[in-house]
Amino acid sequence: MATVAPGVPTGPYHAVLDHIHPEPTSFIRKYIFSIDAKVIGIQYMITGAIFFVIAGMLAEIIRTQLLSPHGAIISAATYNSVYSMHGSAMVWFVVIPLLTGAFGNFVMPMQIGARDVAFPWLNLVAFWIFPVAGVILFSSFLIGAPDAGWTEYPPISLQGPPGTNLWCVAVFLIGISSTMTGINFLVTMYKMRAPGMTFTRMPLFVWAQFATTPLLFIATTALGAALAALFIERVFGVPFYDPKRGGSPVLWQHMFWFYSHPAVYIMIIPGFGIISEVLPTFARKPIFGYKMIAFSSVAISLLSFSVWAHHMFTSGMVPWLQLPFMIITMVIAIPTGVKIFSWMATLWGGSINWKTPALYAAGFLITFTYGGLTGFFLAAVPLDYHEHGTYFVVAHFHYVLYGGSIMSMFAGIYYWWPKMTGRMYNEKLGQLQFWVTFIAFNATFTPMHWLGLLGMPRRVATYDPQFQFWNQFATYSSYVMALATVLFFYILFDSFRNGKKAGPNPWGARTLEWMVSSPPPYYNFKKIPAVLAAPYDFGNPLPYLGLDAAPGATEATPTSVSHPVPTY
Amino acid sequence: MAQRVVKPKTNLGPGFWPVTAFIAVLSAVMVYLIESMPLPIGLIQAGAPADSIDALFRFLGAVAAVIFNIVVIYTVYFGIVFARPKGAPANTIGVQIHDAPVLEFWWTAIPTILVVILSIYSVKIWADLQNSQGDVLTIEAIGYQYGFQFRYPKLDKPIDEMHLQLNVPTTIHVTSRDVIHGFWIPELRMKADMVPGLINTIRVTPTVPGTYHIICSEFCGVAHSTMRHDVVIESQQNFAKWFARQGGSSGGGGGGTIPIAQGKVDLGQKLFGQKCSACHSVGPFDQKQVGPGLGKIFNDPAHPKLVNNDPVTPQNVAKIIQTGYQGDMGVMPSAQVNQLSNPDIANLVAYLASLSKK
Repeated sequence: MATVAPGVPTGPYHAVLDHIHPEPTSFIRKYIFSIDAKVIGIQYMITGAIFFVIAGMLAEIIRTQLLSPHGAIISAATYNSVYSMHGSAMVWFVVIPLLTGAFGNFVMPMQIGARDVAFPWLNLVAFWIFPVAGVILFSSFLIGAPDAGWTEYPPISLQGPPGTNLWCVAVFLIGISSTMTGINFLVTMYKMRAPGMTFTRMPLFVWAQFATTPLLFIATTALGAALAALFIERVFGVPFYDPKRGGSPVLWQHMFWFYSHPAVYIMIIPGFGIISEVLPTFARKPIFGYKMIAFSSVAISLLSFSVWAHHMFTSGMVPWLQLPFMIITMVIAIPTGVKIFSWMATLWGGSINWKTPALYAAGFLITFTYGGLTGFFLAAVPLDYHEHGTYFVVAHFHYVLYGGSIMSMFAGIYYWWPKMTGRMYNEKLGQLQFWVTFIAFNATFTPMHWLGLLGMPRRVATYDPQFQFWNQFATYSSYVMALATVLFFYILFDSFRNGKKAGPNPWGARTLEWMVSSPPPYYNFKKIPAVLAAPYDFGNPLPYLGLDAAPGATEATPTSVSHPVPTY
Repeated sequence: MAQRVVKPKTNLGPGFWPVTAFIAVLSAVMVYLIESMPLPIGLIQAGAPADSIDALFRFLGAVAAVIFNIVVIYTVYFGIVFARPKGAPANTIGVQIHDAPVLEFWWTAIPTILVVILSIYSVKIWADLQNSQGDVLTIEAIGYQYGFQFRYPKLDKPIDEMHLQLNVPTTIHVTSRDVIHGFWIPELRMKADMVPGLINTIRVTPTVPGTYHIICSEFCGVAHSTMRHDVVIESQQNFAKWFARQGGSSGGGGGGTIPIAQGKVDLGQKLFGQKCSACHSVGPFDQKQVGPGLGKIFNDPAHPKLVNNDPVTPQNVAKIIQTGYQGDMGVMPSAQVNQLSNPDIANLVAYLASLSKK
């Protein structure tokens, strides 16, 4: 590391940076209680996938029940538990841990040129809370699972079955895990970037994680307080929320949404990051508007703290207070729109290699835009008077959570799968899986928009017979989605058995994780590289110095330019 | 990048302008259709504020349709024309452009302007709803597990039917006896949560006779799915006949006389424990819970007036128990919500008077 390059401080500390801890040899320290962020990331992914399958099965029970307006298979009481557990599991035990814990741990340290996160032992604890909390959550089925929805509004949740206490404990624990991860990631990104990696040279996935961390450890505290109060009220009878004894049910709603609206962005901003990595790699061109995409994540993150009461327009608050919440909610559309247009412009003029991750990124653009636009309908207070608490809301948040978060996760898994396992997946099956998922997803959730507008409230086990056709349509489409999910797991399984060796950089990507072998070595980088520029300039040589690169990891020199330069 | 002069039009990609024209035409057609159709299709407008809410819905729908067309069609179009041709070398790269400040300015500025317009329009509709007339008929709707009850002025007891009068601006105060329920009439596009301990208010003016549904829109327990109720909108004559059948002509509650002189202290004490003590103590004024302590209400020189600025007399105390209070100091449910009859009120006043004498 004698090279002195512009913007890259070099010096004796490189000797410190280059020190490599010895790799543990015992099976338990290597794969079970590992402190390696990559292993922890994969552990998160496996655990999250298990919960995803369970929560997905609950979703299919919900849809099957709604085949008949009188309820096809289960009693209303069971149905209420099923949808409550579906929502709770999907939000806290699938989407949040996967997007932060799984992708964050596996990808982020490598992308900033670090060997691990700042606090590996904290990371270990944060991960192991997650499966324990999950087991606590699902064991509530044994004693009567919570039945008042994932939002558990008191006073009804005060009457809920005993499992509601377990629900409080499980969600509280996962909140602690989130908080730990948030602090860990923030310190890692702030202190452990490779020399020369200034903020504006960070990959956009890192920027996305950076914007997410404050949400993780600030908003979650409000949820923790609310859950503790709910637990204390249920178990010891201290009246926080019961109006008959001086409590306030609306207090819970404020505390809950002060967390849960920022949580919506915990569930989407890392997804934005994945899309921002996938699109330039497959379009073979720099991300369009790097700074705008990076800063808009931070803007969304900050704004998300001041919109929570848009969930409560009908709950009862001073009327004028509805207006600032409405307007700030609408303002969030501006940075989000900037991102969407920038991603479209990234596709423009590309040499797009339509592999499965790229297809999912494009699908994300369409479904997430749809979900964002229906969000506008809910933000406008007068419209919310009609739409609140209906299937329109259900449709909206499945468009942003499945069409946004889960689609981006599919993109991310296909994209980083070769890096995780060293093997390629079956591309043809992957593309088939995308198209089936995309079409079936839209067929499942689009009808819910007009079901809600026409008068179908959410969280119902039975409904007006006039809505039967579209409910059956949604149910049959959801079965196709389930088949596509089975196919997805088959593709991953098949990759282990028949997948070609991937090599270090099968996509020709330029971020640092692709500069090392697949799967990456324990220490990630033999030498910590120096970073000269943002990673997305496909026409230029790689902006890394001192990289002890794996063979074949370098970018080929461009030989042709497929499209003319732009007009502006 | 910026200095390089390149001929426009052809460089944006083959067929860019035809596609743009297609987006424009398609958007215009969709905006026309959305603005000319009654949306949501198949759900009638049974009165105000359905019309203004639907107008806002169509306006937002038109804007959303245009944005959605732009995103979807350009994404698909870019995806097709900029796909790597079959047989192109794997290291083919795209146009190495990082940003375009002018373009970015406009795609930030135009959505900002749209947000401003949409906010102003939404605020305007919102203000119309807040200022709309409703007070000609005032009804209280009370949710419970699992059903609705209604209190009309001049009816002593809550009834299980809800009728609205055609073209009469109506205020509906909603609250709940147990857990949170929702009060939603889709045909009027109006909803408020029925929160125990809170009174939420909606104002409607029904204009189309018929029988519609009140639907519970907040999860409230095992029978939530079946918690719905008919609401009948009918002409003035029919409403009057129906109201008479409910005993509406018999006078009584509402503005009826309260037999203050016949109040019984012991009955009042019992009632106070059931209905009032959740919010009021029997200590001095400053011993506050939700509301002030009432132990010295008739004998407290520091507080010669009630919260509504009436002097403290037995008649005025009876009146505020009857009407309830909603204002800067908080909320007290009316006698209808508390299910207090006129003799009940008299008993309470007697009890309070006895406390002040001690």
